[in-house]
Amino acid sequence: MYPSASVDSGPSRFIYIHLYPLHQIILKQISDIISSHRATMATAPYNYSYIFKYIIIGDMGVGKSCLLHQFTEKKFMADCPHTIGVEFGTRIIEVSGQKIKLQIWDTAGQERFRAVTRSYYRGAAGALMVYDITRRSTYNHLSSWLTDARNLTNPNTVIILIGNKADLEAQRDVTYEEAKQFAEENGLLFLEASAKTGENVEDAFLEAAKKIYQNIQDGSLDLNAAESGVQHKPSAPQGGRLTSEPQPQREGCGC
Amino acid sequence: MDQSVAIQETLADGEYCIIAVQGMLCEGDSRQSRLLGLVRYRLEHGGQEHALFLYTHRRMAITGDDVSLDRIVPVSRDFTLEEVSPDGELYILGSDVTVQLDTAELSLMFQLPFGSHTRMFLQEVARACPGFDPVTPDPEFRWLSRYRCTQLQSQLPTPHGWNSAPGTWPGCARIGGGRYPSRNGLWGLEEARSGAGSVLFGGGAVDQTGLRLAEVARGGGPLWGRSGRRGRRDEEVEEAGREMSAAAGSRERDSAGNSHFDDLRPNGKGLLVDQSSWGQDKPEDLLPRQNKSKSEITDMVRSSTITVSDKAHILSMQKFGLRDTLVKSELVQKEEDYTYIQNFRFFVGTYNVNGQSPKECLRPWLRHSVEAPDVYCVGFQELDLSKEAFFFQDTPKEEEWFKAVSDCLHPGAKYAKIKLIRLVGIMLLLYVKEEHAAYISEVEAESVGTGIMGRMNKGGVAIRFRFHNTSICVVNSHLAAHTEECERRNQDYKDICSRMQFCQVDPGLPPLTISKHDVILWLGDLNYRIEELDVEKVKKLIEEKAFQTLYAYDQLKTQVAAKAVFEGFTEGELTFQPTYKYDTGSDDWDTSEKCRAPAWCDRILWKGKNITQLSYQSHMALKTSDHKPVSSVFDIGVKVRNEELYRKTLEEIVRSLDKMENANIPSVSLSKREFCFQNVKYMQLQVESFTIHNGQVPCRFEFINKPDEQSYCKQWLNANPSRGFLLPDSTIEIELELFVNKSTATKLNSNEDKIEDILVLHLDRGKDYFLSVSGNYLPSCFGSPIHTLCYMKEPILDLPLETVRELTLRPLWTEDDGSQLENPMEIPKELWMMVDYLYRNAVQQEDLFQQPGLRSEFEHVRDCLDTGMIDTLSASNHSVAEALLLFLESLPEPVICYSAYHNCLECSGNYTASKQVISTLPTFHKNVFNYLMAFLQELLKNSAKNHLDENILASIFGSLLLRNPAGHQKLEMVEKKKAQEFIHQFLCNSP
Ligand SMILES: Nc1nc2c(ncn2[C@@H]2O[C@H](COP(=O)(O)OP(=O)(O)OP(=O)(O)O)[C@@H](O)[C@H]2O)c(=O)[nH]1
Ligand SMILES: [Mg+2]
Repeated sequence: MYPSASVDSGPSRFIYIHLYPLHQIILKQISDIISSHRATMATAPYNYSYIFKYIIIGDMGVGKSCLLHQFTEKKFMADCPHTIGVEFGTRIIEVSGQKIKLQIWDTAGQERFRAVTRSYYRGAAGALMVYDITRRSTYNHLSSWLTDARNLTNPNTVIILIGNKADLEAQRDVTYEEAKQFAEENGLLFLEASAKTGENVEDAFLEAAKKIYQNIQDGSLDLNAAESGVQHKPSAPQGGRLTSEPQPQREGCGC
Repeated sequence: MDQSVAIQETLADGEYCIIAVQGMLCEGDSRQSRLLGLVRYRLEHGGQEHALFLYTHRRMAITGDDVSLDRIVPVSRDFTLEEVSPDGELYILGSDVTVQLDTAELSLMFQLPFGSHTRMFLQEVARACPGFDPVTPDPEFRWLSRYRCTQLQSQLPTPHGWNSAPGTWPGCARIGGGRYPSRNGLWGLEEARSGAGSVLFGGGAVDQTGLRLAEVARGGGPLWGRSGRRGRRDEEVEEAGREMSAAAGSRERDSAGNSHFDDLRPNGKGLLVDQSSWGQDKPEDLLPRQNKSKSEITDMVRSSTITVSDKAHILSMQKFGLRDTLVKSELVQKEEDYTYIQNFRFFVGTYNVNGQSPKECLRPWLRHSVEAPDVYCVGFQELDLSKEAFFFQDTPKEEEWFKAVSDCLHPGAKYAKIKLIRLVGIMLLLYVKEEHAAYISEVEAESVGTGIMGRMNKGGVAIRFRFHNTSICVVNSHLAAHTEECERRNQDYKDICSRMQFCQVDPGLPPLTISKHDVILWLGDLNYRIEELDVEKVKKLIEEKAFQTLYAYDQLKTQVAAKAVFEGFTEGELTFQPTYKYDTGSDDWDTSEKCRAPAWCDRILWKGKNITQLSYQSHMALKTSDHKPVSSVFDIGVKVRNEELYRKTLEEIVRSLDKMENANIPSVSLSKREFCFQNVKYMQLQVESFTIHNGQVPCRFEFINKPDEQSYCKQWLNANPSRGFLLPDSTIEIELELFVNKSTATKLNSNEDKIEDILVLHLDRGKDYFLSVSGNYLPSCFGSPIHTLCYMKEPILDLPLETVRELTLRPLWTEDDGSQLENPMEIPKELWMMVDYLYRNAVQQEDLFQQPGLRSEFEHVRDCLDTGMIDTLSASNHSVAEALLLFLESLPEPVICYSAYHNCLECSGNYTASKQVISTLPTFHKNVFNYLMAFLQELLKNSAKNHLDENILASIFGSLLLRNPAGHQKLEMVEKKKAQEFIHQFLCNSP
């Protein structure tokens, strides 16, 4: 029997209602989706399937906020105020064909806030530990930052060391080699970067993401662990911790 | 923070927490925080069921460990969740949304935070409610059985008990009480747990921030108007005042810094909406919901307004579908950037075969053009006129005609069949050249029967698909027959248009209709006839090939001109003779009894841009049927993607969404972030204020606890308000109130605590701001231990801080060594000063210790004592008396040490034993005790004047000198009595 083209076609109708106010206020486009056929496409390649939480730590003034800003906005902030608190940024990147949403927490570097900022480490999948290549003291403090990072995150948290302000070669106070060695001794990824020129900024965030993704692939990072810092999204076809979103598909009829 | 993640961790396989919101469960006057999670369960045989899971939780649930299940409410047919307006309360912008949850069994009231997240939640719940279509089975909720308390399992009714039986709805009669147990029954997991508020939401702190809604509303001022704050301040002062008052026995209260404001709470209904704005755009096809409460939900949903920032909010929420939707819509907007138009050749044919099987080759019809078409759309009507075909939807003719067509497609290309759809005798076939098959997507086919019962042999079938970036819908219809049924034909057309619905790839989107396609090709036996001319006249005009003249009498022409049918469609010029009705096997007009007039029954129309008709003709060579087949060839401009440009556009869009998301993280500016409180004194309120100015994103703010801390700030500090909601560009003033009382003074004296704190101001979904508080505290004898004061021979403020610190930290029992070395005083000089003052001025004072003192005078007394300027002391007797009581109350170790407390109570009534206990006290404490008793006895000598008696003094001093080591607990009456009795003995007997 062919379907009697029922007028009440169930839940999907609701969407219309839900989205409609959106249309009125902000998104003319949304209404297009709803009222126009054109919007549908066979695939949804722009969805992301993981969320990684990152933290950026390091002494005050080393350029943490500038790195975040450069990464999310592709701009350099010459007169960036001290961070007194914790700020966020997000961006979607692609690793091995997987879309990943990075949720980045930029913390205050000032010593007096240290006790408070420690509480933000929990559940980070990646940590960017930043020093300023023109200020030796910021490099000397790394061990204390590293101790915090190790103690307050899980063993699988990927830590990348970043020597920032690489554009100020003339004022260099920390050589590439010694930092590289420090990184190797402590099992850290390492890059020199410049939030000003943008050099290696993208890479810094990507390298860490690659490493995290690799840990997921080879099973060393357990997504079920509460503090893995990674959320697997239901929309991802591989299926993760969360059960898949439904794809109710009506049977084609009469053919 | 999406708390559904935490909930998800507690769920079983197959259960999915769609969305969670945190709200307040209101029961009477109590408010308890609950996390509400909407959980979906996907059934094995298809379909889904929902339940609302209620959890108690820690402040902000991050992992499954932070939540514990309290109750489950299955979303059954009788489930409703509606927004309600609490009685008598005003609507307040930005305040909480009150919702009422009802099932046949229970009724709960929640306050949910105002905002789009709550809207989303309510919308999701509305979607989850089972439909009212009696055909769909009732949800059974078998999956919830794992949450059931096992011991009650046996009482469970059959699963059908969850809902009213389909037949009885909406009477709801069958579900009466007790079927599935409500509050304390099967679904109330460990009811006791919910009462154990200890882990909930930072305890009372959350509710402290009061605002008096009515007043705010009247003033029309900012959300958190001054009145709210003033209310708080009054209370603070009152607190302090009460602390001053010496009314005996009323002293075991919380410290002033922790005042309770239980009576003030945000409430009311918050709607930022223009209720009327919906109506204009109401979608026509919305069915009235059959249940009133449901329709209220939809109304509510409609009425919610979402502001610009919510777009970002939506993005930041883990609602992936929406992000997709946004990307798609942007892609549609920018389609021109990455597509170009390319022509493809379409062959469209229609043939009413009058129930015949293919007897001749179809080449003359299908293969008449030189060039091979890219796409073939071939439609038939009256494929099979037998009853079997009608009733069983099965006919051998389908295969026969399919083969006949397939065999006769253009030899210049290889074709792939995309789709075949048939409704009784109406069949539509779609082929494309093989090389195009990869660019065909989203193919859907549907059919609609028209006529009585929608099951007559008339109706239409359609195939919709996407060719490159262009959406195309091909419709083949067979409309009502007979000249006089013109209206019927129009109606059939409309029915097909409105009822033909294709489901979308994204199940969340509404079904597509025919009209929502770039290109529509409509073919078929439309059955429109030639009117007003008699048969002979028609035939004559045909003979003369006066098609133009004849066309004027064509019903389709006149109906289209009257906009009664096929609006917006185009048809090519008719240059061929009518295709109906011939004697089968010939080109002769119908010679049967009925002798039908010739008519252009078989037609092809189109709608859309970039369509050029190359030919439109009939094919007289085919004689199988009483109709002639018709064909038309089109060049159709199809939007083809430039892959490189497409990628670029897509990346730009994704990038801009990222940006927007970042830009819409709530952000505020603070007028001040460093707060310095200079020279803080005991029990003297200091206030520093600052303003929060919101950016463009509405947000909630809240001071949050640092890890391992009980409160968002030190005990001596309070932020007012400590949380709230900010509209875009609005400002709120926050006051930081510093007040040192007896419970915080000692540690400030000893420097174990400092006037130093960092407050974390958290924006929901946004940044955190740190506020630094610093300052210095002026040590005071108030809050200092007795023995410490005995060692201080100079006024406390004349001593170096380091000395104060050392002396304060000195243990109680080290007096022996100390006494030799430092020659301490026998009792604190400050105590002596106050008692001496009273002795000299107040022994005859009426109502001494029973009248409250003045706050300003207390501050004066305190300063005199702490600076040693006793000579300048001038205050009313009552104020000094009150200061004395406050002094005794603020002693960290009471005069009768905690360790002796229970002994004292035990031997009260036995004076000898009591004296024995007193003799075991540390010397300084013993001295103070005896000194005070002597003073009190002195007062009693003047009882004629001062009206004091032993009972009054015993009750006032009993609770000050004897304090329960367990702290601020309310004392048992017996205990109080015994403490009084104990003191009483010493007042009656000489030492
Ligand atoms: N030349 C140069 N200057 C930089 C670079 N990165 C940051 N700066 C400058 O360094 C200063 C501090 O940068 P921020 O990003 O605010 O430093 P931060 O680590 O966030 O500091 P806190 O927020 O106090 O912890 C700013 O004035 C920047 O302009 C860089 O790569 N090159
Ligand atoms: Mg910063």
